[in-house]
Amino acid sequence: MEKTARFKEFLRENFLAFFCFCVLILINFVNQLSMGESSGYIWKNFLWHAIGFLLFMIILIIFDYRKISLGLIWIAYFLMVLLLFILAIFKKRWLVLGPLSVQPSEFLKIILLYLISLYISKKRELKLENSEALFLLGVIVLPLLFLMPVDLDYAFIIGFMFFIFLLFFGFPKRLLIVLTLVGILLFIIITPLMWNKLKPHQKGRIYGYLDPEKYYKTWGYQLSQSLIAIGSGGIKGQGFKKGWSTRLNYLPAKNTDLAFSVFAEAFGLLGVTLFFTLYGYLLYWSLMVSKKAKDLLGKALSLGVFLILLVQALFNIGGATGLLPMTSIPQPFLSYGGSITISTYLLLSILFNIAFRRVFFK
Amino acid sequence: MFDKWQKKERLDEEWEKRFFYGNLLLFIILGILWIRLFYLQVVKHSYYLNKAKMRSIVSYVIKAPRGEIITADGVVVATNRASFQLYLDLENLRDEEEILKKLSLILKEDYGSLKERFYLAKKVSYGRVLLKRNLTWDEVARIMVRQYYLPGVIVEVEAERFYPYGEAYFHLLGYVGRINKEEYENLKNWGYSPEDFIGKKGIERLYERYLKGVNGRLEIERDAYGRLGKVVGRTSPIPGEDIVLTVRHDLQMKAYELLKDKRGTVVALSPKDGALLALVSMPSIDPNKFIIGFEEGEWSNIINDPKRPLLNRAIQAYPPGSTFKIITALAGLEAGIVKGPNWSVYCPGYFPFGSHIFRCWERKGHGTVGLKKAIAQSCDVYFYIIGAKIEIDFLANVARRFGLGSLTGINFPDEKEGLIPDRSWKQKRFKLPWYPGETVNISIGQGYLLVTPLQMARAYMALANGGYLYKIYALKGIHSKKGKILYQEKLSLERKIEVNENFYQWVLDGLKSVVEDGTGKAARVPGITVWGKTGTAQVVSLRKKTKLMEHHAWFVSFAGNSTPEIVSAVLVEHGGSGGAVAAPIAGELYRTYYKLPPALPKSEVKEEIIEEVPEIEGLNNSENQNYGENSTF
Repeated sequence: MEKTARFKEFLRENFLAFFCFCVLILINFVNQLSMGESSGYIWKNFLWHAIGFLLFMIILIIFDYRKISLGLIWIAYFLMVLLLFILAIFKKRWLVLGPLSVQPSEFLKIILLYLISLYISKKRELKLENSEALFLLGVIVLPLLFLMPVDLDYAFIIGFMFFIFLLFFGFPKRLLIVLTLVGILLFIIITPLMWNKLKPHQKGRIYGYLDPEKYYKTWGYQLSQSLIAIGSGGIKGQGFKKGWSTRLNYLPAKNTDLAFSVFAEAFGLLGVTLFFTLYGYLLYWSLMVSKKAKDLLGKALSLGVFLILLVQALFNIGGATGLLPMTSIPQPFLSYGGSITISTYLLLSILFNIAFRRVFFK
Repeated sequence: MFDKWQKKERLDEEWEKRFFYGNLLLFIILGILWIRLFYLQVVKHSYYLNKAKMRSIVSYVIKAPRGEIITADGVVVATNRASFQLYLDLENLRDEEEILKKLSLILKEDYGSLKERFYLAKKVSYGRVLLKRNLTWDEVARIMVRQYYLPGVIVEVEAERFYPYGEAYFHLLGYVGRINKEEYENLKNWGYSPEDFIGKKGIERLYERYLKGVNGRLEIERDAYGRLGKVVGRTSPIPGEDIVLTVRHDLQMKAYELLKDKRGTVVALSPKDGALLALVSMPSIDPNKFIIGFEEGEWSNIINDPKRPLLNRAIQAYPPGSTFKIITALAGLEAGIVKGPNWSVYCPGYFPFGSHIFRCWERKGHGTVGLKKAIAQSCDVYFYIIGAKIEIDFLANVARRFGLGSLTGINFPDEKEGLIPDRSWKQKRFKLPWYPGETVNISIGQGYLLVTPLQMARAYMALANGGYLYKIYALKGIHSKKGKILYQEKLSLERKIEVNENFYQWVLDGLKSVVEDGTGKAARVPGITVWGKTGTAQVVSLRKKTKLMEHHAWFVSFAGNSTPEIVSAVLVEHGGSGGAVAAPIAGELYRTYYKLPPALPKSEVKEEIIEEVPEIEGLNNSENQNYGENSTF
C-alpha cells in the first residue's frame, strides 16, 4: 500500500476518536473556566495541556510501543518503588520538585501497565500459571504497600484496576476462587481490627457515604454538597459559571475530586450525557484498537488503558454520585492537575501509537 | 513476535471473547453511572434544587407596617414607630462567645448579662435571635462600622407597634405580642413569619387580618463562608389597613381618668345604632410593655395580682343589683301585676314571704309607693311584691328579650354571657325545683343573676331608643393607606322589642326622677336630661363586711337633650353604693359628651344604703355570692 492510502486508512479508523479526544480537552477547559477561579489557574491548566499535547504528538510520531525493553521497565518499576518507599517514610503523597509537585501514583499506573503487558506478551498462551499469577499480583502489590500509608484510596483503586486487568489473561480459576475466599475471610477478620486503626477522615468517609444527610455538616459534607450540585443541575444544567454550589464555593475540591459535580451542575444531564458519549466512545475505540492490534503487546496495552480510564471514571463519578464511597481520585478530562493531565495524554498517546503502528508498519 | 503464536488468527479468536467482556464492562459501568445521574438530575431534581436554594439563599422577612387604629374623632390610638433592632443570625454565627464579647464592648453592656439574655432569647426564638431592641443612633453607627468583624450580627429598622395612650385603651384595643409557636403553626400558610407580632386581644385581635398587611421578603445569596452576596429577590411589604373606631377619644380618656385608682369599668354606647363610644376597664396595663418587654418579675406580678388587670371588666359577669329592677318593672307591667303608673303598694320597710322576711334597704319604709317612686327610690318592697307574684320563666324571658344572658355582638373572645336563671336552668344545675322565694330575690337583681356591664348598657339602650336592640359594634370602617374606604360597618338590629309604648314612658319617667330627686342625683347635668338607675350589688353578707368586700356600685343611664344620645354603664367593683360612687362618674362622662365644664367639687348626696337581702330557704347566701364572684373573676 502506498503511504497516502495508509494514512487515509489510519485517519478513517481513528479520526472520530481523535475528535472525541479533542472535544474532551475542550470540555476540560470549559469546566475549569466555569469554576470561576483566578486566571493563574486557568493558564497553568492550559500549560499542562500544552505540554501533554506536545508529548502526545512526539510519542505518536517518533515512538514505537514495541521498542521498549522489559529491562528498562523493570528499572523504572524499581525506581518507582524506591520513590514511593521514600515518600512513605516522609509521609508525603506528592513529590515536590521546586515549583512542581508530582503525584507518582499517576505514573505508577503507566509503569505497571507496561510491565504486565510486556510480561504477558512474552507468553505463548493466554493462560497464567498459578506461580505466574501470584508473581504478577506481587508485582502489583509491592508498590501499593508503600503507597497505602499515604494514599489508601488510590492504592486500592490501582490494585483493583490491575487485578481486573489480570483476569483478562486467563487467570487460574482455582487461584481466583481461593483468593476470593481468602479476601473475604481477611476482610471479615481484618475489618474490626483495622477499623480502629483507620484515620478519622477515612472512617468519616465511610460514615458520610452511608448517611450523607445525617453527617451533613461533617463527614457527609463533601458528598451532600456533591449530590446537591449534581441534582440541582437538572436536565439542562444551571449554566456556565451560574451553578450555586460552584459559584458560592459550597463544593469542596471542585477543581480536582469533584470536578465532575461542577460539570454536572453547570451542564445538567445533557452535558453529562455528552461527556459519557465522548468518553464512552474513546473507551470503545480503545477496545477496538486492542481488537485490531496485531500483536499481544498492543492488545494488552490498549486493553489496560481502557481499564485504567474506565475504573478511574467508575470511582470518581461513582463517588461523586454517592454510589461508591468518596475517594480522592481525579477524573480524566475534567479534573485539574499536572500529573493526571500528563498521564492521561501519555495513556492516549500509547493508544494512538498502537493504532498508528498497525497501519504504518505492517 | 507473532511467531510465538502458531497462527495470528488464534490470538484474534481468543481476543474476541475479551473484546466482548470489555464492551460488556464498559456498557454496564457507564450505564449504571448514567442511570444514577438520571435519578439524581431528573427524578430528584426538585428535591436537590430546593436544598441548594435553602442552603445558598438567605431570605429575610420585611415586616409589613401594621395598620393604624383611629378613633371616630380622628385621634390615632395605635400606630407604628421605627426602631433599630439588633439580631443575631444563628446560622452565620461562627463563634457566639467571641461575638457577644465584642458586642458587650460596643454596647457598653455587661458581658454576663448579655450572654444570659442571648441564651434566654435563643430558647424562645427560631431563626434569628433578637438581642436588643431600640438601639440608639450611636449604637447603630458603632455596629455598622464594625460589621465586617461581626458576622451574623444584623441591625434592622423595623416598624414597631406603639400605643400613645397606653393604659387607657388597653382593654379596648388589646395588644400585639410576638407570635407563639402554636399560632405560628396555624398561621404560617397565611404569610406569617416566626418573628411577627400578632394581635392578642381586643380590636387588635379581632381585626388582625386587616391590620396585619402582607410581609415582604428579601432574598440574598450566601456563600459557603457565610458572606452575603447580591440580592436575588425582593418583594415589598404591603402595609396593613387602617381601622376607624366608633369610639370617641375624649370620652374614652375621660372615663379612664374617672376610673383611675378604682376597680371597675365604664362603657358608653350610642342608642342610635349600638356603636361603642367608650370602653374602659381598670386596673389596666400599658400595652407598650408587651412590645418592649416586661421587667424582671413584672409579668408574674401582673398575673398574680389579685386586682386582675388583664381582665376586661366590661364583659365580665356581675350581679346587676337594683339596675335590674327596670326589667322587673316592665315584666310586672306586661304580666298585669302592675296595673299602671298609679298602682301602688305600701312599704313598711320589710316584706314577709312564707316564713321569711325580706327587707327594704330603707328600714323605715317608703310608705305608699307607685311605680315612679319605686324606681326613683329603688324601693325593694315594691319589686318584692312583683317578684312574689310573677312567674320566674316570664321574668327571665323579658330579661332575655333585652339581651341579658347573651353576647352583645362586640365579638371579643373573652366576653361572658352572664346568667339569667329559670326553672329549667336550676333543674339542670342543681337538680332542684325553683323556690318562689328565689324569684323575690331575682326581682331586685340578686340571686343567681349575672350580667355584664356591656349587656346592661345595651338593655338600657333599648329602653332609650324605644326598643331597638342593636348589636354592639366598635368598628366604623376600614380604610386603606390611600384613604380608600374598604369596608363600612352597617348597623345591625338584633331585634325590636315589642313593649307597650306607655310602659316605656312610665319606666322612663321613673328613671328620670332617679336623677332628678332619687338615688342618682349625683349624675345630674345642668341643661341635659339624664335617665338612670343606681344599683348596689351585694358581694358578701353584711356581717363579714370588709373594705375589700364592699359592694359593687352600678349606675346605668342615658342622657340627651330631648331624645337620649348616649347610654352608659358604670360599675365600680367593691366601690360602695351606686348613687355615691358610680352615678357621679356617669355625670362627668355626660358633661364631657356635651362639652360642659366638669362639676364643682362633690355636692352632698344622700348615700343609698346597701340593699340587704336576708338568707332565704334552700339557698345559702354566701355560696350564692361565691358563685357570682367565681364567674366574675
